[in-house]
Amino acid sequence: MLEEVIASLRGVIAPAISAPYPKTQAYMAAVILETLSRAIEERSDLAEARKRSIDRLFVDLGELGIGLPQGEDEASLARLVEVLYTDRERLGEERFAAANRRVRQTLRDLLDADLKIASSKE
Amino acid sequence: MAASSTEDRIREDLQKRLRGARDLAFDSFVQTAGGWSHETYVFDAHWTEDGRMVRRGYCLRKDPGAGLLRELSSLEEQFRVLKALESTPVPAPKAYWYEPDASILGGPFLLMEKIEGDVPNPWSKAGKQAYAEAAARGTLPRSFVETLATLHNLDWRAAGLDFLGVPGPGRDFARREIAKWERLARESSVEPQPVLAEILAWLKANAPEAQRLAFVHGAYRTGNLILHEDRVAAILDWELEVIGDPMYDVAYVLSDLNREGTPLLSYVVDREFFVAEYERLTGLEIDFEICRYYDVLYMMRTAVFWISASGLFTEGRSKDLRLARTTYALPGVLDMAAKAIGF
Repeated sequence: MLEEVIASLRGVIAPAISAPYPKTQAYMAAVILETLSRAIEERSDLAEARKRSIDRLFVDLGELGIGLPQGEDEASLARLVEVLYTDRERLGEERFAAANRRVRQTLRDLLDADLKIASSKE
Repeated sequence: MAASSTEDRIREDLQKRLRGARDLAFDSFVQTAGGWSHETYVFDAHWTEDGRMVRRGYCLRKDPGAGLLRELSSLEEQFRVLKALESTPVPAPKAYWYEPDASILGGPFLLMEKIEGDVPNPWSKAGKQAYAEAAARGTLPRSFVETLATLHNLDWRAAGLDFLGVPGPGRDFARREIAKWERLARESSVEPQPVLAEILAWLKANAPEAQRLAFVHGAYRTGNLILHEDRVAAILDWELEVIGDPMYDVAYVLSDLNREGTPLLSYVVDREFFVAEYERLTGLEIDFEICRYYDVLYMMRTAVFWISASGLFTEGRSKDLRLARTTYALPGVLDMAAKAIGF
């Protein structure tokens, strides 16, 4: 059903509108619906995979002796990134680089998952 | 507020300001689709004054109260910048007045001159074709570089633009820019973005020193330039201008962000030509390493744009679907930045 709504917005409704602002709005509605339909398909798997990825990171960093912030969600991961850079001098370049490399690996996993949904067919 | 109501209110306001004008009427009135921070209306007016007919085109920018740049964008500041530029060689619209009273149109507004010319949309097929054809004719590429050089050669102190704030020596400019965008991200009620946190931390750790300060537009590209007869007739979108490192603008011109699918910088200029002409006209040597850094800063900035935009929609402060759509543009630009800094 969503696909039909998208096709109608893109192929019938938007081209029929002459005023620039509402025309853009109609095209935007089509793009949003298209991305939402992909998000619905992927959503449950995605949330679990993100949680597992962050859990593994925090375990690995714990083994590297890095002090971890409270929680194991994306907000905690963002705080961890800031803490690592703030503590860079204290950690020493080698430990910082190892921890940063491991963090970036997880960030890449999260980003790839987001890209899978967000990649545009426009 | 309906478009017709806005048109009536603008006409009433204009009538009050144009003392001696009789029979004021609009020949055209359009709300443009472009612009994310403000509502923009373009119209042609005519009236009778001292027995003769006067015709004038206007462009009105109104603060919608939920602009993409939130507190970063100020119409009053834009007005001051445009006024300061009137006595300089920088091509910009003449500013007529700034009205802070929100009761007239529902938000503060700025009225300026409508400049004759076109602003082809560089992301549309037709726009890309228009720029490609202009590039082949050869006049626009030169005008594009000359205009940027004029901007960077401007004596900004003499023009009275130091009210924008002058960075301290060394890394202060880059750090101020990062802090500005980080603040905007924090103001947006969007879930924390760990990837953005890493990009911000990297930018802070690698901030370059500015070799010289100039008046910098902050978004110098096709799409923000009015073109007339293959020349830059005016620079638009004076929202992000700063006193800062001229390489900041140069990096934006060199960036892949503004030339998808074409080897031409900003869709119009050959890279070698741009570099040689810019250096010749400004006497500056382009530092490509610093430009690569600023390119990452622009990617971060774009990510924050999208975060702010989607936040405005989810907060219920804007009904503009273009803002909602940016939620899905965010991973793409974060991916570009992540790759640029090595992951």
